[in-house]
Amino acid sequence: MKTVTIDPITRLEGHGKISIFLDAKGDVENAYLQIPELRGFERFAQGRRAEDMPQITSRICGVCPVAHHFASTKALDDAFNVEPPSAAKKLRELMYCGYFIYDHILHFYYLGAPDFVVGPDAPPAKRNVLGVIEKAGLEIGKEVIKHRAYGQKITAILGGKATHPVCGLPGGVSKSLSKDEVKEIEKMAKSTVEFAKFSLKLFDDIVLKNKNYVDLILSDPYTLKTYNMGLVDKNNKVNFYDGKIRVTDQKGKEFVKFDVKDYYKNIAEHVEEWSYVKFTYLDSIGWKGFRDGKESGIYRVGPLGRLNAAEGMATPLADKEYKRFYETLGGKAVNSTLAFHWARLIELLYAAERAMELVKDPEITSKNVRNPVGGAGEGFGVTEAARGTLIHHYKLDKNGLIDKANLIVATTNNAGAINMSVRDAAKGVIKKGKVNDGLLNMVEMAFRAYDPCFACATHTLPGGMPLEVDIYDHDKKLYKRLRQNL
Amino acid sequence: MKTIVLGIGNPILGDDGVGVHVVNELKKQINNPNITIDEAITGGMNLLDLILGYDKAIIVDAVKSNDGKNGEVKRIPLSSFSAMHSCNPHDVSLIEAVQMAKKMGENRIPQGIIVIGVMMKEIPCEFGEKLSKKIATAVPKAVEMTLNEIKKYEKS
Repeated sequence: MKTVTIDPITRLEGHGKISIFLDAKGDVENAYLQIPELRGFERFAQGRRAEDMPQITSRICGVCPVAHHFASTKALDDAFNVEPPSAAKKLRELMYCGYFIYDHILHFYYLGAPDFVVGPDAPPAKRNVLGVIEKAGLEIGKEVIKHRAYGQKITAILGGKATHPVCGLPGGVSKSLSKDEVKEIEKMAKSTVEFAKFSLKLFDDIVLKNKNYVDLILSDPYTLKTYNMGLVDKNNKVNFYDGKIRVTDQKGKEFVKFDVKDYYKNIAEHVEEWSYVKFTYLDSIGWKGFRDGKESGIYRVGPLGRLNAAEGMATPLADKEYKRFYETLGGKAVNSTLAFHWARLIELLYAAERAMELVKDPEITSKNVRNPVGGAGEGFGVTEAARGTLIHHYKLDKNGLIDKANLIVATTNNAGAINMSVRDAAKGVIKKGKVNDGLLNMVEMAFRAYDPCFACATHTLPGGMPLEVDIYDHDKKLYKRLRQNL
Repeated sequence: MKTIVLGIGNPILGDDGVGVHVVNELKKQINNPNITIDEAITGGMNLLDLILGYDKAIIVDAVKSNDGKNGEVKRIPLSSFSAMHSCNPHDVSLIEAVQMAKKMGENRIPQGIIVIGVMMKEIPCEFGEKLSKKIATAVPKAVEMTLNEIKKYEKS
């Protein structure tokens, strides 16, 4: 058996590594994306003061501090039996919109767009954000930078510190908004609505008007017919901050809708010996291996999962785009992995529109932003991280210390699907032992769409960052190594 | 001359947080209105945001070594990194962020960006607040090198 290893992964740093196993004929038998998960969180959390959890968990991951912060805060609301005032919920949601704005802009323009704007076959040195700007123009680059910074600024105004928020408390938030701050956020949100509209037009012009790209999006290796999961409001519209967890089937029909309190009745975890990451699946269907279809409990989360799991967007412009999305890609559900990118832009528009609604709400400057907490118990919290459903579950002892903590993060929810996408993409490009040089990027595109969050230690500065493909023969001896220094 | 010293790292991820340990030491030793000392758990674009407007930036961080050495401290100008991780899987690296900002005509980028890197064989994946023995002994060295770096700027 030959083994192809891609390690580490460009433009998606972390410690990810892809191993591709070939059969005797040299075709792809299997492929795995290995993600070494951060370990020992449960033990680390045990005995700590529950109210420290929103700060601690926001440090778990440099990517989604806001998502962890609020999943944690909501779990504490529940554990201390307190309902935050309506203004506090709105402030949290507004901050959440800021987080989605910077996160989605970053992902689309810096990580997703290079493949489409510059081209999937372009040399790696050009296939980056600078290549995007070269092609799209300097003015667009300035707009990208400006609006990403707006998202950061909005979260910073609400959260205290942009990189690790400190505002969430059980029962509410620590800080209300002044009228001046509201004005400032309104200006930024308004501009971002326009920028999101522009981004969708850019996607139209560059991707949807290019038949090759549309064919690629709809091609078999990038199609996966799984279930989909996401938070929805009472009208089954996408919501990032609150609601019920809804799962739809391959045709977009509701399969189950549940409260986060019942997550363990609906979601089970499968363990593979080669992976630290557990693979979640729908318990009522069961684990049937790495396959898609109605009989397999694997589901997807994230922008595409959310759109598929809902019946629309709660703001007018985004809802219009939502409808166009399904009209263009052949109705519900959209099972094309690369459609994650388009879905992400629709969510960007929603986040900006929703931020506008929230800042215009007279209650947003209310000083009533916290309710007193009750006794300590058990708590569940759920939010949508930019890359998918995130669940925090704590059991507190009578002194309010953490007895047990369990987290299900977005990338765990997507882990099964990501592996299948990697395998299918590899099957599409490796035939009879011939390893195409374009392989690396085609395989990477498959999982980059999910925007997975690898074990994120926050080390900024390791040295060389080569992309490596190791190919092993039948006896697992290395016979070829492809390297790509970036 | 305005200088910022930033300790980068995750304080709950063992050795990864070494930069934070170093700046905590520096805070005890430096009291100068022209020198800002802070910590950050971020990289790439967000990191660039934090250093804009300063003349010099000194970044103290864990650096994964290519040769398997553990606990050495090296002074590395940003420009000599061929490539670098960003703090998270989907941000860009600081180098890319700087290149991008230059292209956009940003004029507040520090003249000098120096990394004081604590070399590590492996960046940890296990939660904990303590440094390993080997990395803990690197902290005073990193503190001294950072102080030297600051002095160099003051003279120039």
